[in-house]
Amino acid sequence: MLKMTHLSKVYRTEVVETYALRDFNIDVKEGEFVAVTGPSGSGKTTFLTIAGLLETFSGGEYHLDGIEVSNLNDNARSKIRNEKIGFIFQAFNLIPDLNVFDNIEVPLRYRGMKAAERKQRIMDSLERVGLASRAKHYPAELSGGQQQRVAIARALAGSPRLLLADEPTGNLDTQMARSVLELLEDIHREGATIVMVTHDPELAARAQRNVHIIDGQVVDLSEDPRFHTVHAVDEAHG
Amino acid sequence: MKLHPILAALRKHKAGTVLIALQIALTLAIVCNAVFIIGQRIDRVNRITGLDESNLFLVSQQWVGAPNADSADGVEKLDTMQREDLAALRQLPDVASVAPINSLPLLNSSWTGSVSHKPGAQLSGKDNTRTAYYFTDEQMLSTLGVRLVAGRAFNAGDVQHQGFRDQRDRPIAIITRQLADKLFPKGDAVGKVMYTDGSNAPTTIIGVVARLQIPSTSSQGNDFAWYSTLIPTRLDANFARYAVRTKPGRLDAAMRAVAPTLYKVNPMRVLDDDSVKPFSDIRARAYRADVGMAILMGVICLILLCVTAAGIVGLTSFWVGQRHRQIGVRRALGARKVDILHYFQIENLLIVGVGVAIGVLLALGLNLWLMSHYEMTRIPLPYVLTGVLAMLAIGQAAVFVPARRASNVPPVVATRAA
Repeated sequence: MLKMTHLSKVYRTEVVETYALRDFNIDVKEGEFVAVTGPSGSGKTTFLTIAGLLETFSGGEYHLDGIEVSNLNDNARSKIRNEKIGFIFQAFNLIPDLNVFDNIEVPLRYRGMKAAERKQRIMDSLERVGLASRAKHYPAELSGGQQQRVAIARALAGSPRLLLADEPTGNLDTQMARSVLELLEDIHREGATIVMVTHDPELAARAQRNVHIIDGQVVDLSEDPRFHTVHAVDEAHG
Repeated sequence: MKLHPILAALRKHKAGTVLIALQIALTLAIVCNAVFIIGQRIDRVNRITGLDESNLFLVSQQWVGAPNADSADGVEKLDTMQREDLAALRQLPDVASVAPINSLPLLNSSWTGSVSHKPGAQLSGKDNTRTAYYFTDEQMLSTLGVRLVAGRAFNAGDVQHQGFRDQRDRPIAIITRQLADKLFPKGDAVGKVMYTDGSNAPTTIIGVVARLQIPSTSSQGNDFAWYSTLIPTRLDANFARYAVRTKPGRLDAAMRAVAPTLYKVNPMRVLDDDSVKPFSDIRARAYRADVGMAILMGVICLILLCVTAAGIVGLTSFWVGQRHRQIGVRRALGARKVDILHYFQIENLLIVGVGVAIGVLLALGLNLWLMSHYEMTRIPLPYVLTGVLAMLAIGQAAVFVPARRASNVPPVVATRAA
């Protein structure tokens, strides 16, 4: 589903070159629920933005759902983002001027979908996250947990091949975080491929497999005694 | 297209939306009417006088110690002096022809009166048609370059002379085609009789000229701007005006020769710098106010349009800045650059559309108000439609740069902290 090989991301200034990702390799199979962990500045978010085609990379290869994406133009990248990827952001990123229904409709409109189908998908996804009764509410009228559920509904409405979650519970209290995580687990059980970036070890432990990033590279924690406190590393991939 | 989410977003930004729509409405109302007024002024300025303007100049001079025109003897002496001047000027090598004349088109020095089918008609009666008189001689048509379209021109035997304040019968006249059509719509004016200034003495129309504008350029003269009557009479006074037509391209040389020639005939006269002026000066002076008004209104329109365009640029730039993250989110969700560009263009089209809808009503209202308070005619619909299209185009042009900046917001912005 998602395969990066020797991928690198370099930020260049006139003075220095900074490697955000270096010789980065990862292979996420279809239907997996992968947690990507690592300390601040390790490159987790850079990985996620490249995986979601929000940013380009400097070198290496990246295949998404069998498509080599390095040479795609901006329009093609937009199309893949729209049709194959669902985003769940830490800050929810709902559009405050639009109500819940209209927020979920945004990516579907960019897909050129007919109104009747859009409406069906929106209501189905709202039912899925338990917020069908809040379709006409504005984001400001919802709790943080509800907003994140709307964001998940927006991601699900387009039936994406891959769900990318960036600290999905980072802005939520424990109870809300738990309910959102349970929702993600349900979605995974239904067959979705999920890649979740988090710095929360407890959250990472709920994923099927953990990938740890340090200094822009994937590291195998099972061979590093310093990280034995970090659990839930998938032995099959260790 | 995606109107619903754009309208939903605009509802959340009512103040800015309403203010810019009102600014557009006011601009449209003012600019439409101002452009209409400018158009009217330009039409006035571009009216064709009927003269050969490029080779024409006017001499206005006054004798010093000349006889009094109130006595018959004085009139005869003044006429002799005038004929001597005419003869001298006609001898100049660069001059094609010269005619004595009381005024010229655009000179704003008029002898106006009225003509009628009926003798003794009341001057203010509905039977009268207003006219401006040109008192001149047999060389007038050739001097002014006015084209005779029916009948005959004056000959030397037709020409009389009279004191400036004398009232005499006017046995014959030439009139303009516009006046002829007004008096005799069947087109058979030549040979017909009319009565001037409520007189009981008939005036036979011996010729019709294609076009000759009256001297007045004031708005009061608009109703009869082409109703000129030519009378074959030299007016005698202690001052005289001569219309001089030069040979092609010899205007400056002929003008330079005038003062020495006339002083040689009779040095007891006043000829200052303003006494010999080309027709181009007369035209420029006549329409100075119109041109000034047109320029002023044009500048005001330009400033208004610039301010409105700047307002659109400013508001859109503000909204782009305000929605920076939102744009990034849209891009992350699959919007192409062109989708973002179209979003702002359509948003602008909606705001400007509302503005011009209100503006059309305001423009028509303003026009009605001007019509009721000033000498203004109804604004033609094409002016308003052109204004609407111009505002829509300006709106799109103004929004383009900030909208393109918005379209360049990268999708990765969606992942950055707010």
